[in-house]
Amino acid sequence: MATQKTDVVIVGVGAAGGILAAELGKAGMKVIGLERGPRLTTSDFAPADELRYFQRQDLRPNYKRQPVTWRPNAGVRATPMTLLNYGNQAGGGTVHYGALSWRFHEDDFRVRSHTIERYGAKAIPADSSVADWPMTYADLEPFYDRAEYELGVSGKAGNLKGRKIDGGNIFEAPRQREYPLPALHPDQSGVLFNEGASKLGYHPFSSPRAILSQPYQDRPSCTYCGYCQAFGCHVGAKGSILVTKLPEADATGNFKLLTGTMVYRVNTDNSGRATGVSYYGPDGSENTVEAELVIIAPFIYDIVRLLMLSKTNKFPNGLANSSGHLGKHMMAHISARVFAAFDDRYVNIFMGPSAQKHTLDDFNADNFDHTGMNFMRGAQISVAPADAEAGPIGTAMSLVPPPGTPRWGAAYRDFAAKYFNRYAGIVAQTENLPYADQAIDLDPNVRDQYGLPAPRVTYDWRRPNELARIEFLYQKLEGIGHAMGATKVWRGNLSSGAPGSHHQGGARMGSDPKTSVVNRYSQSWDIPNLFLMGSATHPTMAGFNPTLTIQALAYMAADAIVNRYKKNPGALV
Amino acid sequence: MEKHDAKRRAFLVRAAAGAGAVAGAGLVPGAFAETQEQGKEANPSFPAATHAHMRGDHEKLGAFFNHADAATVAAFVERIMPGAPGKPGARDADVLNYIDLALAGPYADLQEFYRHGLTQLGAYCQEKYKKPFVQLPPAQQDEVLTALDQGKATGFVWPTAQAFFNTVRTHTMEGMFADPIYGGNKDFAGWELVGFPGAQLFYSPKDMDSKEAFSRAPTMGLQSALTKISLGPSNSPARKG
Repeated sequence: MATQKTDVVIVGVGAAGGILAAELGKAGMKVIGLERGPRLTTSDFAPADELRYFQRQDLRPNYKRQPVTWRPNAGVRATPMTLLNYGNQAGGGTVHYGALSWRFHEDDFRVRSHTIERYGAKAIPADSSVADWPMTYADLEPFYDRAEYELGVSGKAGNLKGRKIDGGNIFEAPRQREYPLPALHPDQSGVLFNEGASKLGYHPFSSPRAILSQPYQDRPSCTYCGYCQAFGCHVGAKGSILVTKLPEADATGNFKLLTGTMVYRVNTDNSGRATGVSYYGPDGSENTVEAELVIIAPFIYDIVRLLMLSKTNKFPNGLANSSGHLGKHMMAHISARVFAAFDDRYVNIFMGPSAQKHTLDDFNADNFDHTGMNFMRGAQISVAPADAEAGPIGTAMSLVPPPGTPRWGAAYRDFAAKYFNRYAGIVAQTENLPYADQAIDLDPNVRDQYGLPAPRVTYDWRRPNELARIEFLYQKLEGIGHAMGATKVWRGNLSSGAPGSHHQGGARMGSDPKTSVVNRYSQSWDIPNLFLMGSATHPTMAGFNPTLTIQALAYMAADAIVNRYKKNPGALV
Repeated sequence: MEKHDAKRRAFLVRAAAGAGAVAGAGLVPGAFAETQEQGKEANPSFPAATHAHMRGDHEKLGAFFNHADAATVAAFVERIMPGAPGKPGARDADVLNYIDLALAGPYADLQEFYRHGLTQLGAYCQEKYKKPFVQLPPAQQDEVLTALDQGKATGFVWPTAQAFFNTVRTHTMEGMFADPIYGGNKDFAGWELVGFPGAQLFYSPKDMDSKEAFSRAPTMGLQSALTKISLGPSNSPARKG
């Protein structure tokens, strides 16, 4: 049993926690970071070990030791999800992410108001809890800019201060300056996607990624080996927190990282302040960190669980939950896929960064007129390998053969042999709406390796709004596949009701303490020295991958803590 | 060796031997060989020819499967990814060896899953065809796989027929396509089948611009890739934290 004192304790040093560790350390605050997993280095990452990293998920939580359970509705027993798409080490998910780095659109921050203004209140499904963010795009823009420049994002601007630029994303919100690095070199799937989408009058572009197209800040450029999503980068070209912010935090001399530690309680006193956290050490010991400022920044499940486990007489429904909204409004991207096969050429989609390679934004957000449609919001449409990873195991698992071709036997073998390097996947990543009954709580039956109740998700994406949108998008995807010149185009499988990727919500931010958990600075309304970081705070999710927004919010919170909270600890408004 | 384990193995050996179902496995657990050596618990009517085959040149020690189960799994995975001239299949890639090693280590928690699955498979084949799986001609083996895949095979409780099929299919793909360091994908058989160049450390702009199959460099495995990295510039900062 050890007790340490510090200014700031950060639980989870991933996409958000790593930024706060560096920024608060630079401001002279003593920071202790607690991390469940190890701290790895670039030299730990074997390239191309698809079995270890993709199939066996070596950089993700092990669902048998750290289960998160799922059930489609409250009437059935939940069972562990077998893929937990987030981090389990210092650097968190940024270690193994595909590094897609998007700014949300202006209307992504005000989905409710925008929809009502353009289509009327009836356009919003009655059971959806869709809400505006407590900030505008313009409020967050300086922090997006900072994240892009500090982490190293490659891309091409499509909207510089309102001036639209061909070749970039003309639908993006206005940016003040270009990306720090030019777009990555396209692979053949990107070339085909650009040609096909352009023929249809759409506006394709190279997806912005925190992957270096040129050497930057003493890091080497990408080798295009193709192992990004699910893998650690073997040269350090991916802007993982491991190679960007943690070295900065180290350099301050104010940062200490304790790995192999599992936080099981946030401690509070009778005045309602957070006093620190308690954690299990790698040897199973019970330890405490006392801190003036407590920052909770693991993935959404561990935020919600930790706050629920930390309930006291003063906070009987869990910490930061006077609103009753903790755990609610969970969202996830669902990916509709079609596959396009080419008999007359090779595509070699295994080359180059592996997640969404090129994208069109024409059917995302409210970039297209929804009048007369039976759904709201849209999807990011991209060309990508079958499971955002293009090795042969992932392809065998996720490239569903076309109708009439079996998934085993001689015909399957011949299909795999012919099309492994002659196909492209086209994927729609949908902006699913929040609903209050899509929720996270504590599983009464399943416990993790520490004996703590597993987080339990109750969630089924198959709502009328979401199903109608999926069908609309499938038709667009098929059209793009044909325009790319494919010999054959067919649909992949959809998930059953289970959540897909990029889980968000559970501790939504808002302008009203009665209907939200944190304010715009990710600060608890109830406990001012408690901050909750990460995609848990997102009130809506956009069709874009969330990481850059998580990071921009972290910079925004860091800025508020350093420039305002530090001088005058209390509620930031 | 646990007594229970020895008995279970002896039982499976007798079942396999009685059916003469041993050809082609290429994998014999050490415990089984010992049992034969010492004559303990072995079926006295064990056919001499079969015994000789099993002690033959290509015999290897396995890490998990007994001989009968090895023979069944070898035949099963070959139907999932059958080999043909110029088209390497599961046997060419030594998928059996991959699964055997995996079940002895990283997938040890699936040992009972496989044992139960194989027992149920055996019972289903006996019931329907009066023969063990390995003795069925390929067309009937495919019928069995189809029945499993579609959940129509009877008598499966745990694992269900579909769960068993799906898991074996997944492991077959892993054994076909994982790096050879894991015991399958022998001589890059799986990668050769689909035209994947393996653990390439980089692709050049010219590679990326090509509409042809990649041919600039030979297929590379992890061990050759790792060798190359270690020759490169220093890439090993001290571990921290």
